[in-house]
Amino acid sequence: MNTLSMALKNLRNHFSFYALYLFSVSLVITVFFAFTSFSMNYIMLEKISADGRVESMCRDVSVFLMAFVVFYMAYSNRFFLKRRTKELGIYALLGYRKTTILSLLTFENILVCCGAFFAGLLLGAIAHKYIIIGITALLNLSVDSSQIPLFNINAIVKTACFILLVVFVLCVSNGRFLFKTSLMELIRFEKKAEKSMKFHRLPALLGLIMTLSGYGLALDILRSSKSLWISIGFYPIGMLTVMLIVIGTIFFISSFLPYAIKKSKSNKRAFYTETKIITTPNFIYRIRSNSKTLIMLTLLSAATLSISSVMALTVYYPIAAVSRVAPSEIEFRIEDDAQVDVAKQIVSQYAVGHVTFIQTDLYKVKSSASQLPMEYSVGTAKGDADNEKILRETGFECISYTNYLSLLQAQHKDRAAASLPELRDKECILVKYQPGDDNSTETGNTYPLLINGDYVPVTVKEITLDNPLSFANSIGTLIVSDGIYNQIKASATPITRILSINGKAIEDNETLYAEISNMLNQSPYLQGHSHRINELFSLNSSTFLLIGFLVVLFFIATGSILYFNNMSAISDTKSDYEILMKMGYTNRRIKKIIKKQVLTFYSIPFILGMSDCIFATIVYKTGLMQNLLGNTLIQYVPVILSIALTALIYLIYYFLTVRTCCKAVCKQ
Amino acid sequence: MTALLEAKEVTKTYKKAGRPSLKKVSFRVVEGEFIGIMGASGSGKTTLLNVLSTIDTPTGGDIWINGINLKKLGHTSAADFRKDNLGFIFQEYFLLDSLTIRENISVPLTLQKLPPKKIESMVRSLAERFGIASQLNKYPSELSGGQRQRASAARAIVKQPSILFADEPTGALDSSSATELLNALQEANQELHTTILMVTHDAYAASFANRILIFKDGCIIKELCKDNGNRRAFYESITSEIAKLDTER
Repeated sequence: MNTLSMALKNLRNHFSFYALYLFSVSLVITVFFAFTSFSMNYIMLEKISADGRVESMCRDVSVFLMAFVVFYMAYSNRFFLKRRTKELGIYALLGYRKTTILSLLTFENILVCCGAFFAGLLLGAIAHKYIIIGITALLNLSVDSSQIPLFNINAIVKTACFILLVVFVLCVSNGRFLFKTSLMELIRFEKKAEKSMKFHRLPALLGLIMTLSGYGLALDILRSSKSLWISIGFYPIGMLTVMLIVIGTIFFISSFLPYAIKKSKSNKRAFYTETKIITTPNFIYRIRSNSKTLIMLTLLSAATLSISSVMALTVYYPIAAVSRVAPSEIEFRIEDDAQVDVAKQIVSQYAVGHVTFIQTDLYKVKSSASQLPMEYSVGTAKGDADNEKILRETGFECISYTNYLSLLQAQHKDRAAASLPELRDKECILVKYQPGDDNSTETGNTYPLLINGDYVPVTVKEITLDNPLSFANSIGTLIVSDGIYNQIKASATPITRILSINGKAIEDNETLYAEISNMLNQSPYLQGHSHRINELFSLNSSTFLLIGFLVVLFFIATGSILYFNNMSAISDTKSDYEILMKMGYTNRRIKKIIKKQVLTFYSIPFILGMSDCIFATIVYKTGLMQNLLGNTLIQYVPVILSIALTALIYLIYYFLTVRTCCKAVCKQ
Repeated sequence: MTALLEAKEVTKTYKKAGRPSLKKVSFRVVEGEFIGIMGASGSGKTTLLNVLSTIDTPTGGDIWINGINLKKLGHTSAADFRKDNLGFIFQEYFLLDSLTIRENISVPLTLQKLPPKKIESMVRSLAERFGIASQLNKYPSELSGGQRQRASAARAIVKQPSILFADEPTGALDSSSATELLNALQEANQELHTTILMVTHDAYAASFANRILIFKDGCIIKELCKDNGNRRAFYESITSEIAKLDTER
């Protein structure tokens, strides 16, 4: 029998053993091929971004993707190799040379990779097709799909070359293992008993303290200007936090968890139960060989969850903030009276239904207050970065209460309009750019407005984040009573006149927006709610998609490694379950034990990864993103969704693992 | 005396083998007996032990233990029956590698939901009796074969089973370890009145029993009894009987 036929026979005989490996490698190659096809689909790339931004991103992501595929395949290969050491030892005993055994393993790898390659090509091509359809629909692109082949020859060649490289890496890795391991070690490898561990208090406490300190440092960013992130610097504190959490996680898993669980054995009442007396010592016993895998999976889960959460937040948050950045469907500065009529004429060509046109005259009013809110004083003083050439004048940009109310109603902000308080003559509503640390401190403040040579004091009745105009046209808007507004109007000319166009009939109409933009000569003061959202989708979708490839790959790898690990742990202790059955454990009790054991190994990377993700998101959101929406829970929806999705994927893998393990143990 | 265990015309046929491994085997065991089951390889000893202990089901016949007909037990009730009535010792020790010796011996008692204090005192006293009290916090891999087998015996006896089944318990032990274990089993039989059914092919091990059932081709062909408690004389009668059987073969 030659080596190739032996390899074929091995695969056939151990198909159930290799089935999941083959399946997971096929999925990994599917993702890789779909990604490669996408990154080589120049028709799509040109449509998404003409400046080559997506191409360069594809190049960066492909490096990570390739590195990750090699890592995953090498890990899985080593895992399966270790499970077959006795078999390899027998080959060696029978007189096979190590080079012959290596060629047998290489043939097996070639066969598995070939199978996975063909499955990956087919599934990847279909996935790529659907990705194209999805992007085309999402971004409203006009793409002739007949121009895009189902199988991209260049992508096939690249994938095939990459798989050859993977096979070579696996061959080198197997060779190293075989030639480094003696015959005796090969035969006894599987039965090597786990050594009992001594768990010391110091590394255990170090793990807990470092992890908690890392989380504490992450939370410190919420202290705003008083935080160490501001006073010492974002980079050094960021590095320190990551270091504390990574090293803390290592000690936490390898020392603190087994130490705490060992200590929990002193609670005899809880320990001497039919399940815990098996699961608790099992966990402690197995932690030595599994801690490295658990640490790797935890860090991988933390990275996957953090990347997906941050990504989802990066895409979702600007879209959620569009209601503030561009509150009206279309809004522009009126430079010339004729523009209003032309705009109305253009709108009438597109809109069938009710459309509101509201003109807002914005008056700049000086104030003599020693300290104005940030929105009204930024860029007014010498020394303000970037603004020395165009200095703003200290003061407020005022609009009337009635105007504000009409704008809110036109923008469908019905709740804000309904809860708007009545303004007495010398009261005002302060529009904030960013929510302050404590809004109540500015309520009740009085600011003197210079109207017609006299200072008229106005008191802040309420602070709001519902700005009626886009930030391109007014950052600090003060809503004054109609009486005061009329006094201002009588004595000054408006600095800006703004036309806000709203109505369901003109929503999400890019052609209308483009025509108005042409009419205004691409004015930077033209802002549109739907247009802004479409722009954000178009800008972020490719990034989201590319990161999506990585995240999907992370999930497949993490889930598969957990599956293999648990399966192997349960198979190795199959005789233990047989003893338990002989002692009177029913199938139900055995299943309960298996469920608990598997759950422990799934929950450690998930729970630690999730808490790392939550703290990473807090830092990212607070430190690197502008806070325009305040601290509403709704902005964390994408983070919650990412965690829920991860939980769902882990749950699927968990049930799959439990099912297979129970099937392997409880045969009758 | 009422029988603790009664086997009536027990038959077991494996489909693959084609011929019966047990052929209408009938015998009784009364409480406090120490029975040895002997025979050549393939004579049906282990099959008998498996069907008596509910690990396997007979093809025909009936087995009663404590008045319960094992045929009528379902999978779950058979597991509960094993939990409450039976103890096992195997040639390969079958200790749980991930549990310490203390935990291994405690498992059957936790199944009976005994309070932790009682579990600990029972484990300690039995470990002292079996000479493994100083090994309680060690893992099985840290013990010698003899110590492991004594731990296995302690685990089987600790719950005070109605019957203790031992399948070649000395098969993997050297002579001194084997003697230590057999003495411990005899002590448990005499002092704790544990009923023991031990499968062995070793005449020396069998001589510790009070009665021997010799198997051949799935049938009991001879029954030997220890008349006056003299183990040496009993050993000699067993060896001569075995020699006779070998000559016949």
